[in-house]
Amino acid sequence: MKTSLKRELLDHGATVVGIAGLRGYLSGEIAHLDRAVSIGVDRKLNEDTLALLTRLQKRTVRFLKARGHRTLAIPPDSDRRKGTFISKLYSLFNHKMAATSAGLGWIGKNGLLISPGHGPRLSLATVLTDAPMRPDVPIEHCLCGECVLCIEHCPSQAITGAKWSRSSPFTELVRLGACRSHKTSKRQTEGKPNCGLCINICPYGRRLGTEAITRQNKQDITAKAQRTQR
Amino acid sequence: MATEERKKEILEKLRNAVIQYDEDTAKEYSQAALDEGLEANDAIFNGLVSGMVEVGKMFEAQEYFVPELLMCADALYAGLDILKPHVKQLDLGVKGSVVIGTVEGDVHDIGKNIVKMMFDVAGFTVYDLGRDVPLDKFVAEQLRTDSDLVCLSAMMTTTMTGMKKVIDDLRKKNPHVKIMIGGAPVSQDVADKYGADGYAKDATNALKDAINMIESLKKMKDEVEAKKAK
Repeated sequence: MKTSLKRELLDHGATVVGIAGLRGYLSGEIAHLDRAVSIGVDRKLNEDTLALLTRLQKRTVRFLKARGHRTLAIPPDSDRRKGTFISKLYSLFNHKMAATSAGLGWIGKNGLLISPGHGPRLSLATVLTDAPMRPDVPIEHCLCGECVLCIEHCPSQAITGAKWSRSSPFTELVRLGACRSHKTSKRQTEGKPNCGLCINICPYGRRLGTEAITRQNKQDITAKAQRTQR
Repeated sequence: MATEERKKEILEKLRNAVIQYDEDTAKEYSQAALDEGLEANDAIFNGLVSGMVEVGKMFEAQEYFVPELLMCADALYAGLDILKPHVKQLDLGVKGSVVIGTVEGDVHDIGKNIVKMMFDVAGFTVYDLGRDVPLDKFVAEQLRTDSDLVCLSAMMTTTMTGMKKVIDDLRKKNPHVKIMIGGAPVSQDVADKYGADGYAKDATNALKDAINMIESLKKMKDEVEAKKAK
């Protein structure tokens, strides 16, 4: 069942799909739905990522319901209808937690899900279910290494540089207040709160070619080290 | 006009859409019901609501948990939004208006919303004050709308005590108004102690009690007026 579900979603536009086992990670109300289908779609400009994610979610729900399992679709964070009954429960759940548990990636220094192939450029949606699918292997630790590009490029110095690990999920990675106030002032000056530098700069999955960037980054780091030595 | 068979099929689909928390099907067949000439009333009560009754049973039997219950309620509303404008006349015998809200300090409104849904379905005029409602506002709103019924909800023992104050104030201003209370810490004992007219264990009971209360209230008003006439 797991393989055919994954195949179906990948065939219909998902970039990555993983199954997470979440027993013991969920709050009481949703604890009986302890498997999560984590779906990631590569954000490309000019593409309606949200509509695609919604379609993939519906497909997952149909697939699982047809086989007699319960489902709870958690829509992407940016697409939450307010005012429905179920929307009260969305805040109990974290897409990134499901994604790391499903082995799709880790949480980078910039606080975002970093997928080895696509970096922080995935939009996530999740379907919780009680279907007994074998979970994928989770990623336990931050694999950003010594890279500090996002820290250096953050205009509001919001990134603390702490490293995420699955066993200590509440470490402060990003000072949200600083990040938010930067976006607020951006909105006032430019009309849009867009920042996203920590996404753009991340070498993982960058279109420019990961190697070039990491090479550049390594040079930067060695240069810096030499400078400090002097 | 749809044949008896087709009519049955539509009602069954509506019922199942609610049980299976399938918003899309609920919408589709609500529209079909209208297009094919079914009474909106019929579609609501013998379709959507009959499904919700079943959901209530499944919830009690612990086959369904909170997320399923909420999604079922969303599916019901999806259908109701389409059907409600076409309801000609509700044949429940009584009609009334109700002020409803969660008392000050309490932000838990899932239960309150489900009770509200039942009133909506039954054709009551509902004045929903939302959650964390200042205690005075209940009294003011009751006087403004001259509602027959005031429903108070509290989820925490600390906020529950606020209901006592609202009940006392309401009684002072308007001794005839009927008051119902509900919520996790509330019991029949509490209702008696606080001087409420009714206590509802769940949404279905709330509706039944409410209808009974309004009937008795109308009777009382009639008697008073009859005396005056003499």
